[in-house]
Amino acid sequence: MADSPYWNPRHETMPRDELDALQLHKLRRTVEWAEKQVPFHAERLRDAGVTAQDLQSFDDLRRLPFMTRDEWMDAQLQQPPYGPILAAPKETAIRYHMTSGTTGRTPIRVLDGMKDWEWIAEMWCYGFWGFGVRPADTVFFAFSYGTFVGFWGAHYACEKIGCLVLPGGNMTTEARVRQIVDMEATVVCSTPTYALRMAQEAASMGVDLANGPVERLILSGEPAGSIPATKRLIEQQWGAKAADTAGMTELGTIMMFECDHQPGGTHIIEPHYIEEVIDPESGEPVPYGEQGERVVTSFGRGFIPVIRYRTRDLVVKVPADRCSCGRTLDLYEGGIVGRVDDMKLVRGTNIYPRAIESIVREHEEVDEFQIHLYTAEGIRDEIEVLVEVPDESVDVDALLRTLGTALSEAHEGLRFGVRSVELGSLPRFELKAKRLVDERVLAGSEGERKRM
Amino acid sequence: MTTASLSPAQRELVDCYERLVKVLAEHRDELAPFEERNAAKATAALWQVVNGLDLDPGHIYHVGV
Repeated sequence: MADSPYWNPRHETMPRDELDALQLHKLRRTVEWAEKQVPFHAERLRDAGVTAQDLQSFDDLRRLPFMTRDEWMDAQLQQPPYGPILAAPKETAIRYHMTSGTTGRTPIRVLDGMKDWEWIAEMWCYGFWGFGVRPADTVFFAFSYGTFVGFWGAHYACEKIGCLVLPGGNMTTEARVRQIVDMEATVVCSTPTYALRMAQEAASMGVDLANGPVERLILSGEPAGSIPATKRLIEQQWGAKAADTAGMTELGTIMMFECDHQPGGTHIIEPHYIEEVIDPESGEPVPYGEQGERVVTSFGRGFIPVIRYRTRDLVVKVPADRCSCGRTLDLYEGGIVGRVDDMKLVRGTNIYPRAIESIVREHEEVDEFQIHLYTAEGIRDEIEVLVEVPDESVDVDALLRTLGTALSEAHEGLRFGVRSVELGSLPRFELKAKRLVDERVLAGSEGERKRM
Repeated sequence: MTTASLSPAQRELVDCYERLVKVLAEHRDELAPFEERNAAKATAALWQVVNGLDLDPGHIYHVGV
């Protein structure tokens, strides 16, 4: 069994009807636990007129109320520091974490117990094992090990698998590159942005990463791990295969991973979650192949039950047979394709940072970039992309023209400014990259009308 | 998964888990710190085995895990 391509073979190859029955059973147990232990959920379930016993089929799932980040934050503010959401006394918790703060006005604060951390690591094990990581591997974590949960669970997963773990916290990028090479790391974990940053640093140090020891990269924290152009660039610069994963602090761990067949999507760990995809406006479910918002119910996090949580992540669910790996777990094609809140309207055209990144990353000459929205002449929305091009032999003017045309053509003819900026002037990121800067005074001169 | 469909090795693991939970539930106060906390860690690891077998291990915060 140790040579199994699956971490939990029974779970990962379970026939769909058995998987449905398992999820329904676990849903009932989760709701039962939440209504008994958590005042926040008990009140909401009572208001919705539904109990665990009412959940007799998957259609009954829709009787459960959605849970939003705003409700969670409001509960925290009313009863700090956690809100009435804990299912167990805080004395039984062993760890505190909080959201990274890229969205929302206050961070979400979470607690977990000892067995919850076994589960958190277990979810990462599905991903690492599924991408071919084995006990003989040496795994380097380019991660700051703070209160953001990030790769904490992945670290424990690798220890559980039996890998040699190199915790690369509190190090400069140069020191990280040096350690990866000196200690012959075979697997590197980081955000996609930071994988590129380390590759840049390696090049400046004269280190040939592409012919180095690293065979696999496990990416997380940003959608870019599934943007084909970004992924291709990372794989080329590292001479290694890269896999996308995605998780969230609200769950404590990942809920999807890319297997070593690299199907262009991420398998959902369905024995541990119900993942619904809905129209973000109407709340109605959307079918396979259509983009919608992820809504997650977790069976694993006992300390803070998460039931029908609206993630604001945009995804496209496709059936399991889209991948040839033998798993029966459905996939999200292209991973997380964006955020409901990410979309910007510029002169009537929808702009998604991910779509812009996918075009910019087609041009390896661009080292770093930023999307800049501003108000021109006090009335007009403008969008420009700032790029850093370190190679002096590149015809920058031609590159800017090509990029401007490609961006415009992909956005209904919208005019994009593309400017070259001084090397090192754009911010670099270790965790979640924030490459869109919106400085508009009045957004939507021909579209959205909102005083900023 | 039901207990009837477990292999002998899986059955042993589930039995270990159940025995550990019983020890923690009934004798926690009698254990030295090193016994109690190491038993709790072992229980947490085996909880995940039982959970992965879909045998409803439930929540065990009451025994400190």
